[in-house]
Amino acid sequence: MAIDILQRLAILLVLTLAQALVFNHIHFFGCAMPLLYVYFAIVIPRGYPRWATLLWCFVLGLSVDLFSNTPGAAAGAMTLIGLLQPYVLELFIPREAPANMKVSMKLMGPAKYISLAAFLTFVYCLVFFSLEMFSFVDWMTWGSCVVGSTLITLLLLLAFESVRR
Amino acid sequence: MKNLIAFLAKYHHWLLFVVLEVASAVLLFRYNSYQGSVWFSSANYVAGRVYQTDAAVRSYFSLSPLNKQLSLRNFYLERQVTQLRRLYGELTDDTTAIEREEQEFLSRYNLIPAKVVSNSVDRADNLITIDRGSADGVERDMGVACGTGIVGVVYMVSTHYSVIIPVLNSSASRISCSIRGRGYFGYLHWYGGDPTVAFLEDVPRHARFKRGDWVETSGYSAIFPPGVMVGRIETIYNSPDGLSYRLKVRLTTDFSCLRDVCVIGDKSIAERSRLMEQVQDSLTMKPNL
Repeated sequence: MAIDILQRLAILLVLTLAQALVFNHIHFFGCAMPLLYVYFAIVIPRGYPRWATLLWCFVLGLSVDLFSNTPGAAAGAMTLIGLLQPYVLELFIPREAPANMKVSMKLMGPAKYISLAAFLTFVYCLVFFSLEMFSFVDWMTWGSCVVGSTLITLLLLLAFESVRR
Repeated sequence: MKNLIAFLAKYHHWLLFVVLEVASAVLLFRYNSYQGSVWFSSANYVAGRVYQTDAAVRSYFSLSPLNKQLSLRNFYLERQVTQLRRLYGELTDDTTAIEREEQEFLSRYNLIPAKVVSNSVDRADNLITIDRGSADGVERDMGVACGTGIVGVVYMVSTHYSVIIPVLNSSASRISCSIRGRGYFGYLHWYGGDPTVAFLEDVPRHARFKRGDWVETSGYSAIFPPGVMVGRIETIYNSPDGLSYRLKVRLTTDFSCLRDVCVIGDKSIAERSRLMEQVQDSLTMKPNL
């Protein structure tokens, strides 16, 4: 239990710093920003306590917010992803899968893993950019931010997953 | 009651979800009105330290172009000063007057050098964090400039760090500026997009100026002293309502490689704001007389 907490804390720190120091400065075509920290929520194993999932996601969102000057936006969106993840995960794994099955491309198969990641990333970007901009007057920018960021995040996520052991 | 507890025990994660979302919403709304707490921005200690280290590494790599740029500018200004001093001396036969006036002018302002630790130029509402805070004498609403021109206004201050609203903040930055040598003024606003161009709004229709004229701060607000460089007029447009001019200004400050800035504290602010309050008080009292 303690090891799990420490491990997750380390991943949380690394993802936050990577976002603050590297990914926040990347803007492809002026809108597509990689939001790699969604990875944290996607790979939470099956059967992980739901309250802990929510808390972890909230804390990660809050720490990202702190560095990006967007208080509440990432925290709110991450908490929503933390709530959705267990339900969405059930849709993509067989019923007879082990109760504490880990989420990875190897165990789930590429098609299902990519669908899961794509769905959660898209929902995340949708909610995050809606909260961050908080107006739909400039819906073109909003739309391109959501779609662009989803694609670039997904691409990075898959690259990251493919080098993971 | 038993049922309620059983219900809560079963769906406790929903309850937690609602609590956490409410917490996020509180943060979101407090900040959206630009009244947020300093603890939830990059001005807090932890974020400030991380960004400071990062900026220290980055600034090391941009030292040589920056040095080049500054020494060029220095050379140019030195020449200008020498020429002007010579001209002034010839006209008035008083060679020390300029230095006297300059010293008097500078002694009114309290200049605090600072380093930029976090910066962005690619959003609609950019913010800058610097490594000086209330412990160094920085206060809210002080002006910030750099060697090449204007930067922005201090917005939040913690003990060791401050957040600045730069010119490149489309929703919060409006700085009073005037056209050098002509006296007409307007306010500087940025609409997002190109970080090298901003717009001077509300310049009166009868104003006379031409492309290539310099724009500088007007000194009408207590934030900036008059004469801090802003940019050069590039294109002249009509404002959407047709009542004034809108000037496209090429900014002299390069926000994308901002490292060293200077916070400008005006010692006469307290006096000015006291006077302003007195005027406002007397104006509100008048109708009762």
